[in-house]
This record gives sequence, C-alpha cells and structure tokens, in this order.
Amino acid sequence: MNHAPRTTHHETRNTQHGTRNTPHASRFTFYDVFLVGVGGQGVLTIGDVITEAALRQGIPANFYPTKGMAQRGGSVKARVRLGRETTGPNIPDKGADLVIAMEVSEALKAVRFVKPGGDFLLFGHVWPPTACMLGQASYPSLEQVLEQVQRAEAVVHYLPPESLPLYEGAPVPANVFVLGAAVGRTGLGQVLDPSEVAALVQTRWAKGADRNARAFQAGLEAMINDQ
Amino acid sequence: MPTKLLTGNEALVWGALRAGVKVVTGYPGTPSSGAIGSLLRMDLDDGRHVEWSTNEKVAFEIAAGAAWAGQRALCTMKMSGLNVAYDSVISIAYSGCNGGLVIYVADDPGVSAGMAEQDSRGFALMSDLPMLEPASVAETYRLVQVAFELSERTGTPVFVRLVTAISNSHAPVAVEEPVPPPEREPILDRDITRYTKAGAAISMAQHRDLIARLERAGDVIREMGLNQLQLAHPDTPGEQPRNTQHATRNTQHATRNPQPATRLGVIASGVVASYLDEGFEIATRFGLDPDSVSVLRIVATNPFPAAEVRELLRHCDTILVLEELEPHIERGVIVEAHRLGFEGRIVGKLDGPRPSAVGLHRVGEYGVAQVVHGVGEALGLPIPEDLFQGNDAAEQLAARRPITVCAGCPHRGTYMAINQAIRKLRLKKDEVMVTGDIGCTILGMNPPFHTVWNEVAMGASVSLAQGYVHAGVETPVIATIGDSTFFHAGIPGLVNAVQHQVPLTLIIMDNGWTAMTGMQINPGTAEPFQPPGGRSVDIARLVPALGVEHFFVIDPFDLDASAATIQQALALPGVKVVLSRRECAIQAQRRGLKAGQVRVIPENCNLCKLCITRTGCPAITLGEDTVLIDPALCYGCTLCAQVCNRAAIEKEAVP
Repeated sequence: MNHAPRTTHHETRNTQHGTRNTPHASRFTFYDVFLVGVGGQGVLTIGDVITEAALRQGIPANFYPTKGMAQRGGSVKARVRLGRETTGPNIPDKGADLVIAMEVSEALKAVRFVKPGGDFLLFGHVWPPTACMLGQASYPSLEQVLEQVQRAEAVVHYLPPESLPLYEGAPVPANVFVLGAAVGRTGLGQVLDPSEVAALVQTRWAKGADRNARAFQAGLEAMINDQ
Repeated sequence: MPTKLLTGNEALVWGALRAGVKVVTGYPGTPSSGAIGSLLRMDLDDGRHVEWSTNEKVAFEIAAGAAWAGQRALCTMKMSGLNVAYDSVISIAYSGCNGGLVIYVADDPGVSAGMAEQDSRGFALMSDLPMLEPASVAETYRLVQVAFELSERTGTPVFVRLVTAISNSHAPVAVEEPVPPPEREPILDRDITRYTKAGAAISMAQHRDLIARLERAGDVIREMGLNQLQLAHPDTPGEQPRNTQHATRNTQHATRNPQPATRLGVIASGVVASYLDEGFEIATRFGLDPDSVSVLRIVATNPFPAAEVRELLRHCDTILVLEELEPHIERGVIVEAHRLGFEGRIVGKLDGPRPSAVGLHRVGEYGVAQVVHGVGEALGLPIPEDLFQGNDAAEQLAARRPITVCAGCPHRGTYMAINQAIRKLRLKKDEVMVTGDIGCTILGMNPPFHTVWNEVAMGASVSLAQGYVHAGVETPVIATIGDSTFFHAGIPGLVNAVQHQVPLTLIIMDNGWTAMTGMQINPGTAEPFQPPGGRSVDIARLVPALGVEHFFVIDPFDLDASAATIQQALALPGVKVVLSRRECAIQAQRRGLKAGQVRVIPENCNLCKLCITRTGCPAITLGEDTVLIDPALCYGCTLCAQVCNRAAIEKEAVP
C-alpha cells in the first residue's frame, strides 16, 4: 500500500481562536500514530519522543495519552496526530497511519484504529495478566492477533521480542528499540527525519545515552518479519 | 514568545499565571489534577498562594473569599468535585465577585478515568454563570485569561470547562512570562444585601442582579468575538449556495428530487469544533462542498449565543448541532428556531433514531466520525456506514487486565485481613457487606480480593453502610475508605454513625497520600511533606475525639494480627473504627525505602500458587519449578511469605 504522506492546502476556514495558521505551517504532512501497551513498558515515552521530534521539525503535533489508574501493569493508550495546526485529539476507527503495539494482547485493542493499508508494528512481548498466568483466563495467541490485524487490512511488521539486543550484558530499553524500528520500517520514517529522532533520543536522557543510541540504531536496522 | 509543549492542564495554569492569579485552590481529581500539580512543581515565589484543599467545597470557598477581597482566584476540580462545591457555587453566584474568579472543571466524556459522564454545562445553566470551553490546548491558554477579564468586567464567577482529551493532551503553546499578582489592597466590603441571603427581598434582588450579570457577560462575549460565525455565501441568501464543481458527484439526490440544494449550518462547541476541518475534508470525498457550509464555533456555551444562532437560522435551511454529551445547545437552537418560524431540519441528538444511529447520541466522546456522519445525514451524502467502523471484534479477544494494587501496596494487607476475618467468623463473603469508597481503596473490588462491593462518591461508604444496617442486615456491615477521602467527606458520615450509634465497622486505610490521582498531599500527610509552616492532622487523634469507643490501629503488613483485630471489632457493638496504617509503597520507594525483604526457597516451592492467588502481587510470577519474585518490584511487605504454607518464601533481615 501507499504510505505517501498526504499534504493539504492552507485552509482559510481553519482560524480557530489562538491557533491561527501561520504561513510557515501552511504545507505539512498529516500522519496519525496510535500506541498501545502495558504500563511500565515506556509506551508513552515513544509518543512523547515522536511529538517532540515532530515539533523540532516544525510539524504541528498533538499527543494524547491515556494512562488509566495503575502505576504498572495496566493498559496504556496514546494518540499522536501530526501535521494539523488544529486537530481533535482522538484518532477515529480506521484512521491511524501507524499503530505501534508493545504487547501481544494489548495489540488487539488497537486493531480497530488502523487504517486499511496502514502500518501495524507489533513488538511480540507477552505480559500475561495474573488470571492468565494462573490458567484461569485465556491469553490470545500471536497467530490470533496477526489474523485480526490482517483482517483489518493493515501491513504487519512483527518484531520478535528476542530481537531485542543486549548492551553491556543487559537488554536495551524495548521502547527505544521499537521507536527505532518504527522510524526505520514504517511511514513514520518519511514524516520524521531519522537522524533528528536519533539525536533526540541521545540528548533526552543524560544517563544511558549510549545504551539508548544502541537501542535506537538496532531498531532502525532490525530484521522485521513483514507479513 | 517561547513555544512550550504543554498539557491542557498546564496551559490553563500558564494562562492563569499570565492573568496575575493570586490564589489557586483545588482538590485532586483526574483529569484536572495536572493543573495544580504543575503549578506546585514550578515552585513559584512571587506572592501567590497555591494549595490542595480538603475538598472542592472548601477549595471554592477559599477562592471565592479571595475574589470577594478583590484578588484574582482560580479553583480547579473534576466534574464530581463540582457536585461537592456546588452548594457554595450557586450561592456565591448570587453575590458575584470583585476580583476575577475562575472555576476550572474537567469533564470526562468517554470515561477514561472512571465516574459519571457528567456534563457540567448543566451547572453553568443552573447557576447562571458564564462558561468558556476551549477547543484545544493552545486555546485553553488564551481563554483562561479571557475568563479572568470577563469575570472582572461583569463581576461574576466564570467557568472554564475542559474535557479529558484536552486536559491531558500535550500540544505546543506560545506562552508569555507569568505576570506577578497585581498589588491590590484587599477589599473589606460590608454589605449584607450582597454577601448574605437574609430574607426574600435580598435574595430576589440578588437573583435579578445575577440574571443581569449573565446578560452583560453575553454582551462582553459578543464584543470579544469569542463565538465565531462564518456564513457561506453571505451575499446570496436564498440562492443555491452549493458550488457546482461537485454537482456531478453530490446531486444524485437532487436530480431525483429537484429542490434547491441544502443550505447547511453546522454548530460545534468545545473540543468538537477541533474536528470540523478534518471532518469536512473527509466529507468532501463524498460530495460535500465545504464552502457551502456555514459554521458557528461556540466557545462560550453559557449564556446561549442566541444572536449568532438566529443569524445562522436565517441563513440556512438545515442545522447540524455537534456537541458532546447532553443536547444543551440543540435545545437552545430549537427554541430560537421556534421563535423565528424556522421550518428546516435540526439534526442532532433530539432528531430521532437516524442521527443517533450514526453516532449523534448522549454517550461517549465525539470525534471526526460524528462530524462526517452528521454532515452526511444532514445533506443526504452517500457516506459508507463502515467508514469509521474498525475491526472491533479484535478487542474482544484481548486478555482482561483488571487493575490491581501495586506491589507493596498496604491496601493489599487490609483486604486480605478483612477477607480472613470474615472467614474466621464462619461467614461467606457474599454475606458481609463491605462498602467501598473513591480512590485506590476501591481496587479491593477486583480479583483476587473481591472484598469491596460498591463505589459511589467521596465519603459515601460510611453513610451507605448505615443504610444497610437500618435496612435490617444482621451480619456485620463494614465500610472502607482511604485517608484523603475520609478527610474530604467521610467525617460527617462517621459523626452521624456515632450520634445514632449505628453498629458498623469503619476501616480507614491510611497510606498518607492522595495516591490514585498522582500522590498529592492531604491533611494527614506527614508533616515534612506539608507546605512550610503547615501541620499534619492525625486521624488517630481525630477519631477517638468524635466519641468512637472502639478504636484500633493495625499494621496491614501483619496479616494475622490485622485479621484478628478486625474480627474482634466486627463482634463488638456500636461504632468501631480500625485505622490501617502504612505509607503508600510507591511514595516510600521514591525515597529509597523498603519495608522488608523476602527470599524464595526453591526446594520448598511446589508451585501451589497460593502466594499469587491470595496476594495478586505483580512482583510474583511463575518460573519453571518455583515462583519468582522480581526484586526490583518487591517492596518487602512479606504478605506472600505470610500466606505460604510450605515455607517456600522466607522473610529476610533487612541489611
């Protein structure tokens, strides 16, 4: 499918209070990203970095995370909408150019949002809820999830969890790795300048800059099992 | 002007700082908590007072007092909090204000944070107070400043209403430097005709003044041009306004039925307006000529923008109203249409089953889908039904992920102790009512505990329990509540129980923080964390002072002792209060503290899973031959070791 970014003409009616279009922003790309995962995986950080990188490139952005209540282990969703000076925060069903799913079961909650022909990047981490761990409830198989994504007519990019590289003996941060893969493998890389994102990842955390750089680079180059 | 990436909550705060706000009060509540939270993190030292108050009513009264004394004041809350504050809101509305007084209320259509899908616009209507509804994060920054100006120019408190999608969105905002609060001598204005409700004459005169102030606010709002009306083809009313460019695509309907093309007027308020451009673009693919549509974007939803609506009605023959939750604007439009003798269709929530079928209903958020399908319904465009129908069957296959308490949470021990006490009394869990309350303590409703039965409103657990007793329930009745919730609205219920000597057991789960909303302080938070010069109010001294004769303090990390104490309390007559006390593990761990340490003895573990099924602790997982405890997550509460009956988990001495 075609992932070419859409562009739009300057809309004269788009003169919302306080968000008047400025001439320099009159041409830009529309690109919507829906993110899901489990609290503690760093899903929201991915959304935050994408947003920050977009703004640095002069692309308007709105980042809307939903954290739920739990500190850790609860469902997490976020939407990043790029390119519109005035935009509603939510992405409609079948509206996301890219879905980034960090957990196999949670990926199912994002399927409805992917655009037919859009990219669906799935990191195959499995984080079973307690009831599943105890065998009291069922956990979906990877095949089931992939089948649903294919039914939504999305392009699947599957990133096996064992592809996460080590750095000094410990696995690199999965979220930065997945971000790298999204930039390297999906339409996001045509919207955002990969070197800009890499630079942001480097400077964002003073601690672990090398580890994160390694994670991002490995993601960019990851062998993804496209289906 | 520097551009910052801000949340809606932060943009609201920056706007208030720019407006020279002097007093900011509020009570935490998702999605509004980020406002005061971000303000406190700024650690400003420029003559402002910022506080988390005991509850929203207290918060609003403090803000109103400051505004009566002539200062600019802001009060923040979620929609449920407005219900608490409202008794004072409606009364203070009658008196008006001197300094600018802005009430920030956050509604939650789509219920991302729990509680009701309340539309707080109804409160603005009932109290005759102006309400502004920004459509975006950036607009929030500007409109808060407008709200203060409007409040001072008209002498009336002003609501700013955000929804979760704006409060919690992050977007770039061009912000200016904060302006220190202006030097204003506090006003001491003695005027009982204005500041009391003593008698019908005074109250009715105030009512008249209130109505006049709202009318004046309407004039100021029009003068400021807050509500934007854009009429299509204003110079050719009565003619076919539709651009013929798209005629071949969109006039199938018209060729069969040779009537003049529809002149559509779209009304959208608040966040919904931010979806219009996108929706019109999409509808263009199905034959919409966007230039033929007249648009009214409503930012000030109260007072009703009757003049703009009338102008739109005169110009159009079909109106589409796009507003989330209740049809407040739509009703106003219908009234104006009736007055004008408008005979066209008004498409909205009150327009029968068809608009409802395409998503114009009272439940949930509005988005692009409502704009596109609404326009399609109004114009008869061939919008495919499934245009925004994703594969939602997929979601049904996802594993359920019930929210549980964190590893090390002291509430875990309290639920386990309650369950054990009920068991020891040879009662079934279904025989013992355990009322619940707002906050993290409600998580006891979920597996594996299934302890708590209900969740209503702040403080409701204590009073609900009394109702069950009076209804004739003969088994013990237990109420559970957290510390902040107890201070907020639980104390009056307990006083009532003492006064009427209602036999019940109240368990106060005191973790020292208002945790669920993001670790704010409350009156009981330890003194080192209180603002400089502030004090901590000790529940252990307060409860006995109310006349509670049976008062116990337990450590929820000591399961058997806690269960035994609860069991003892349940058997006693009268009002019993058990204070279960341990600091929130998240907060304690942020300061590097651990409660203890445990170690798995693999050779003793037979994978019976009792530690998991009883505690539901997220730090424990199943390994090959033994359970595993994640040392990074474990806080050392030792509850797993206390339930293990094979000595496979051992308490260790803390180094």
